[in-house]
Amino acid sequence: MSELTIVQLYPDELGVAGDRGNVMALTARLTRAGHSVTVIAHEVGSQLPTDVDLVIVGNGPLSAMRNIHADLLANGDRLRALRASGTAVFAYGSGAELLGHSITLADGTSLEGLAVLPFRATRISTRAVGYVIVDSPFGQIVGFEDNASRWTLDAGAKPLGILEAGSGNGEGSVEGVLDTGTVGTVVSGTVAIGTQVGGPALPLNPLLTDAIIASIGMRRGFTVINSERNEKLEYYATRARDVIIAHAKHVFSRI
Amino acid sequence: MNPSASRRAQQRKPSGLKYFIPVVAGKMVRALAKLRGGGSAFPGYVTTKLAPNFLRDVTHQFRYGIVYVLGSNGKSTTTHMLTEVLRGHGLRVFTNPSGANLPQGIASSILAESSVLGRLDADIGVLEVDEAFALEFAAVVPPSTVLVLNTQVDQLYRFYETERVADMMLDTAQQAALHIVTNREDPYLSKIARRYADGDATADPDITYFGASEAVIARAPHGLFNATDYRDATVLSDSHHALAELVATDRAGATIVVDGTTVDVTLPAKGLHYAIDAAAALATAAVILGDRFDGTSSAAAFATMKPAYGRGELLDFTNRDGVNEQVEFVMFKNAASLQLNLDALPEPPQQVLFAIDEGTPDISWIYDIDFAALDHVDVVTGAKAWQIALRLEHEGIAIGAVEPDLKKAIDIMRTLPRPSSGLKTWIVNYEIMMLARKQIGFLELENQR
Repeated sequence: MSELTIVQLYPDELGVAGDRGNVMALTARLTRAGHSVTVIAHEVGSQLPTDVDLVIVGNGPLSAMRNIHADLLANGDRLRALRASGTAVFAYGSGAELLGHSITLADGTSLEGLAVLPFRATRISTRAVGYVIVDSPFGQIVGFEDNASRWTLDAGAKPLGILEAGSGNGEGSVEGVLDTGTVGTVVSGTVAIGTQVGGPALPLNPLLTDAIIASIGMRRGFTVINSERNEKLEYYATRARDVIIAHAKHVFSRI
Repeated sequence: MNPSASRRAQQRKPSGLKYFIPVVAGKMVRALAKLRGGGSAFPGYVTTKLAPNFLRDVTHQFRYGIVYVLGSNGKSTTTHMLTEVLRGHGLRVFTNPSGANLPQGIASSILAESSVLGRLDADIGVLEVDEAFALEFAAVVPPSTVLVLNTQVDQLYRFYETERVADMMLDTAQQAALHIVTNREDPYLSKIARRYADGDATADPDITYFGASEAVIARAPHGLFNATDYRDATVLSDSHHALAELVATDRAGATIVVDGTTVDVTLPAKGLHYAIDAAAALATAAVILGDRFDGTSSAAAFATMKPAYGRGELLDFTNRDGVNEQVEFVMFKNAASLQLNLDALPEPPQQVLFAIDEGTPDISWIYDIDFAALDHVDVVTGAKAWQIALRLEHEGIAIGAVEPDLKKAIDIMRTLPRPSSGLKTWIVNYEIMMLARKQIGFLELENQR
């Protein structure tokens, strides 16, 4: 069994939407499959480790994004190098936007991103709030979206999936961004996912969690084992997903 | 009489015949709404349409003016505390029923208490106001004092950014004619003095703070849960002198030092947030009353205070064996109020119902909550029941049953034997609190008490 390292970027600033839940979902499934997991919180001023299996980042307000921006840019080369060496990425909300090329703000100014994910974000005046359903290569992903952003994918870049309900990227009836492997000329083979599916997404979507774990395993040489101890997690997730799917199309249409 | 004094005298003049028709019209609509069986904001709408200056003129009669109570959490509780403390000093206080904090709802409650000539017998008005509407409402009913409690990450689906809510509240506070009272421990609010050239020495309005001692904050498992101010180089609070400082808490009460006088208060419900709310109420009472403020009268007011509707309330409940028990409602609206309520539980409750429905659209933040205060949950219910169960399972907290239907979930609670404490703890969001009260036979709605 493997010793794995997850780095969560700026959990205080970019972690206001239950982003800890994504780390918990990954950790629960990995440890139940017998791996040992170390979660390192990267804060402003701290040093990024060099051997990392997964970089995870969540959502935060614009003020928090600005607060960590200089540190993020200072660590840009390291993070790009990690990705090039096959580190998987799961990024939600504004954290994902900071890993894209840039974020154009309402006042016309923009924030530079790290270009780890192949898209650019534009903050818009219409806000998308409510349940969201996405048909992805890993299966159906459900969750809650709450953002006022349009995501424009690079030519040739793939979305995380096709939108079944909700607003997603705000263009092209797709949601998120999915990079399965080339950074520059290096083929990493691991996934980098940017999404606006919250909830948080990974506890609600064990298939997506397992896809990320499979990606980590490909690099470390293990396959996903679904422990019997996940039975309750799967059952509750399935029932929660059923309710979300049933409510997706009408409950929040008027917020 | 100089011109401004004569203007003031005119404003203070009891209203009069011009309000007869608008007030009667509003009251008739109100009577009809009551017959239909519910409170309504519509009567206030009718009267203010017919007489746009009605609210301003009625509230101008108050000797001590109008106090706004704003904040992410604790508005109802603090409004209630401040009202009772002022009444304890002999003031006649007009207040809006907790929960009726939108402009038309406030207008309706002012209408209900007014005579047909537009007079309302009160020395002061204490109004809980929704932060999103407060600035707009200040143009209609100008506040003399604005109390701002806290800025917490709340309802992002409604406010988008926490700093936006903070600015709404800070902008409203600046509309106060006489006093701003706010939270020294709140990163956003503690910076209000920076908006004035003279800082804390500014006058008209002057600025007063409440707060908690370092020792009290250090003992809180998760602090006060106020939002970090990431837009400022100082992400935490500015430091100030607090007129009312919380220096100790225990199970039943709190010790608050108000301008050198120690006031021991009993709290209507457990929790550090209620103790801070008490400090907020005392600071506000002290600055409004000046020399008339009295610690003993204040403590006496707290001693007889009942919990605000659904906030730490104990309601009678009969289990299936006909044995009398009580339900303790632990109500939350967001991550901060849930965490502070959990932190206030003296030990893991014996019987727990935990419920959230679609009244709280986005519950992703339940993954940010530390549930160490619970060792199990008997029944998880509400439309979000399966999502709650999923969260608790990640924490390894045992769940007795998941029953999304509230009525059935309450039936399950009814079948459980009486706990030795005699207390069933129901941790619920606002909407479920309303429904659950009704289910167990407490029929009145929040704004009808």
